[in-house]
Amino acid sequence: MKLKHGTFSKTLIAAAALMATLGVQADTLKIGIAGPVTGPVAQYGDMQKIGALMAIDRINAAGGVNGMTLEGVIYDDACDPKQAVAVANRIVNDDIRHVIGHLCSSSTEPASDIYEEEGVMMITAASTSPSITEKGYELIFRTIGLDSLQGTLAANHIQERIQPQRLAVIHDKQQYGEGLATRVRDILAAAGTETVMFEGVTPGDKDFSALIAKLKRNNVDFVYYGGYHPELGLILRQSREKGFDAPFMGPEGVVNSDLAAIAGEAMEGVLATAPKSFDQSPENAALVEAFRARNEDPSGPFVFPAYSAIQVLTEAMRATRETDPYALADYLRANCFDTTIGEIGFDQKGDLTEPTFEIYTLHADGSKTPVSK
Amino acid sequence: MQRALFPALFAAGVTFLLTCLVIGVRLQQDGPTLTVVGADAETWGWIGFAVVAVFLFQLFQQPLSAFKQRLPTPDLAALLPNEPLRRRLRPWLIALVVVGLFVWPFLVSRGAVDLATLTLIYVMLGLGLNIVVGFAGLLDLGYVAFYAVGAYTYALLSEYFGLSFWVCLPLAGLLAATFGCLLGFPVLRLRGDYLAIVTLGFGEIIRILLNNWTQVTGGPNGIGGIDKPTLFGLEFNRRAGEGSQTFHEFFGISYDSSHKVIFLYLVAVLLVLFTVYVINRIQRMPIGRAWEALREDEIACRSLGLNPTVIKLSAFTLGASFAGFAGCFFAARQGFISPESFTFIESAIILAIVVLGGMGSQLGVILAAIAMTILPELAREFQEYRMLMFGGVMVLMMLWRPQGLLPMKRPHLELKTS
Amino acid sequence: MSETTLYVLQQLINGLTIGSTYALIAIGYTMVYGIIGMINFAHGEVYMIGTYTAFITIIGLLTMGVGSLPIILLLALVTAVIISSTYGYAIERVAYRPLRGGPRLIPLITAIGMSIFLQNYIRLAQGSRDLAMPALISGGIQFGDPEVFEVSLSWMQLIIWGVTLVSMTALALFISRSRLGRACRACAQDLKMTNLLGIDTNRIIALTFVIGAALAAVAGVLLGLYYGTINPYIGFMAGLKAFTAAVLGGIGSIPGAMLGGLILGVTEAMTAAFFPSEYKDVVAFSLLVLILLFRPTGLLGKPDVEKV
Repeated sequence: MKLKHGTFSKTLIAAAALMATLGVQADTLKIGIAGPVTGPVAQYGDMQKIGALMAIDRINAAGGVNGMTLEGVIYDDACDPKQAVAVANRIVNDDIRHVIGHLCSSSTEPASDIYEEEGVMMITAASTSPSITEKGYELIFRTIGLDSLQGTLAANHIQERIQPQRLAVIHDKQQYGEGLATRVRDILAAAGTETVMFEGVTPGDKDFSALIAKLKRNNVDFVYYGGYHPELGLILRQSREKGFDAPFMGPEGVVNSDLAAIAGEAMEGVLATAPKSFDQSPENAALVEAFRARNEDPSGPFVFPAYSAIQVLTEAMRATRETDPYALADYLRANCFDTTIGEIGFDQKGDLTEPTFEIYTLHADGSKTPVSK
Repeated sequence: MQRALFPALFAAGVTFLLTCLVIGVRLQQDGPTLTVVGADAETWGWIGFAVVAVFLFQLFQQPLSAFKQRLPTPDLAALLPNEPLRRRLRPWLIALVVVGLFVWPFLVSRGAVDLATLTLIYVMLGLGLNIVVGFAGLLDLGYVAFYAVGAYTYALLSEYFGLSFWVCLPLAGLLAATFGCLLGFPVLRLRGDYLAIVTLGFGEIIRILLNNWTQVTGGPNGIGGIDKPTLFGLEFNRRAGEGSQTFHEFFGISYDSSHKVIFLYLVAVLLVLFTVYVINRIQRMPIGRAWEALREDEIACRSLGLNPTVIKLSAFTLGASFAGFAGCFFAARQGFISPESFTFIESAIILAIVVLGGMGSQLGVILAAIAMTILPELAREFQEYRMLMFGGVMVLMMLWRPQGLLPMKRPHLELKTS
Repeated sequence: MSETTLYVLQQLINGLTIGSTYALIAIGYTMVYGIIGMINFAHGEVYMIGTYTAFITIIGLLTMGVGSLPIILLLALVTAVIISSTYGYAIERVAYRPLRGGPRLIPLITAIGMSIFLQNYIRLAQGSRDLAMPALISGGIQFGDPEVFEVSLSWMQLIIWGVTLVSMTALALFISRSRLGRACRACAQDLKMTNLLGIDTNRIIALTFVIGAALAAVAGVLLGLYYGTINPYIGFMAGLKAFTAAVLGGIGSIPGAMLGGLILGVTEAMTAAFFPSEYKDVVAFSLLVLILLFRPTGLLGKPDVEKV
């Protein structure tokens, strides 16, 4: 259909004027950063927060995105599913349409239901439970590997390198921990290694003497623990006291300097699967300096994934010149991005196409060294 | 004045002891090491202020309390118009409130309607507990267990059998009432504090069972993806499930998430109106009087021929059923439930609502529920201090006005004396 | 000895350790209930404050370079007892005394409010995260057959037993031999009468709160050293368990609190020994409910006769 010449140019001028006024308003685009600010795993929320905020600050310093300044708004879910739901509702009520978060898989999953329903894009830099991207949602992405990969990596390592005679698998009954523990147990069972003890502990519990006595009684020679550092730290500490010295292995939820504080010497030699140490790669040296200048610690496993999440989000916004989550989602799935965690792309489900986990040996001073292949 | 000097110094000393270490020194965790640092100057300023304030208050306690005696105490009841006028205005007032409740959500923001829905849930819970604690005088600290039963009933029935909200609502109430009856039986012989402890124990047991029975209840991860209520089969989602239609498609309008929020609010209003009506009627029936007789003096009650077993069980059962309704609605509204929503703190909050409102007074409970839910939202900047203020307010209210905001007045008729 | 026997012995040791600490905290609940008939919900938070004070003192002294472990521990104990007792006294004075004599529900609400207030007060002052201290007293003895099962008994466990024993003996002697102790017993029997006989009951009630808080502080120091990690929420669970112990033993009876604590600790340990450990807490509460249903006055309590 041919528009009359006059009408067309008038429309064009009107549209330009409208875009100009919108642009001239120099508005802020709020991005929600949801994770634990309080509670037992607040350290991980911190990692995600400093990564995302650093990215936002640097992007704003370089002129913002599409003429807008970014503003990170922090929301606290305390790693509690109920609060995560409340936070998600609040984010929707606050008219924010892009969220980096949440952190704990048990929080991210219920929140993602709300975000998908309300048309809010969510990129998680820390939730590793596979079920989050298994619901066929359009707007949910992640910049970290999956537990299915993490669990497989751990199980393979145990099967090939450790070859325990009497394996125990302990978990904290939450989605992340129990999911990983079940996966490790099942893979090992299929490969022929039986699990002698499979038990859950209550998060927040302090006394594991009964569990440790049971482990001793069953002559366990290797323990895989699925869960977070507060409980593992206490188990390690109390095991040492009680003379139970089998080696332990855990997921990235225990890779945290607080583990050293709780477990002390007992932490030496504990194995863990964790995202690659992006703070060690030379490309990120300048960024690491920037973190240290701000008195922030860039070595946490979620700092760089969170940074990259902001990177891909803003990259997509720049390329599509839009903030509509659906348009951004399409762009994310169709392209590759050069970020601080390397070249990444997203598959149809929203997961990273390349896994990023490695196995480390943890040391009592809080550092970690990669285990040679 | 001199006689007050020593107690004042003592009080100031106590204040200093209380704060100097616990607030004045901070434990800091730098990675693996733990250190102590003195708190910043501002904190020490507050400590100093507190000490001085306590000292001065104790010193001048006598003149201050004399001054307080002379202050007029506000009598809330005097603010209301007198009796005959009140009686004439009442039906108009009620009609105004009800109409207002239905019209209001269309005029305000989504967040406000959401908050109002949450408030209505607490109103329902408060009114339900009011039956047990306020009318019957049975101290129930585990009320949240019935709330949980209602919520999980809907969640599980919806997940495993696909039953809709409207079908599950009466079922949830019924199941919660059954649990109420079951709880009532063992505690028939217990009195006062022991009753409180057993109910507390029951509440915690239910929560721990829900937390550990992972195969059925999902354990700590809860149950998600719970369906929202439908309007005659029309769903309020962006996309319809198989076999059903969405609300916006049916009416040919574009999808707006505020439709869902307003609909949920209206459902909540209906539930609350139903609750208020039922309780009001029951209060005027013999069983309502029997509850109050039980509260005042159980032994006298028994000696007058009333059967305490029936009275106690009916109180527990009825109170529990309202918690069941509230729980069912809560699950539908949130779309997700976990045992963390049903801790002892929730019971404490609901109990606080009943006591602060004035035990037995329905209007008081409604006002208290509104205050408890809305005030924390208004003071959003004080998010950090919210629970602190909640605890403090509980203590202060008990010290200042233990009978509650609107102490109960038995519904009565006055004979007109000409 | 057979493997099962050794295993049971180990769990018994664990149970007695945790049970002793429950007993220490339970005494606070039972004494207050015995004297004014009130459940002090805020007692668990007093225990938590004791632990925090101990941590602050220990870390502070270590930072200042004090090397001698016995001195550090002694100072930590003394400081924690002083600060906790002050809290116990202040809570009673400010929140409970004005409400004495009124309906029973009101102080209960106040106590719950006080508990929430104190929890958040510490949370704001010290942060909500876990704080961890290195193990100051480690090591122990191992016995049993290395081939079958080795029972371990750590020095810390022995210290806990020792300190608990000393504290309870001291308390028992105080209550039975001293004048103030006699006054406490009199008040527990009949408050009004004691008042009429010229004893300042307000002072005695305050003393009761102080003693309860002091013992809770001792438990706080011991458990802080034993576990090594604290956060503002440990008071709630510990308080609930200790309260269960007090009711189990017979609320109002001090020997009952001690017995109840030990029984609860051992039951928990045995449950965790033979069933999945997550059901530990269910056992505690189920025990509470069962005792209250079938023997509300507890094991050592006196039947409560209601007078008309």
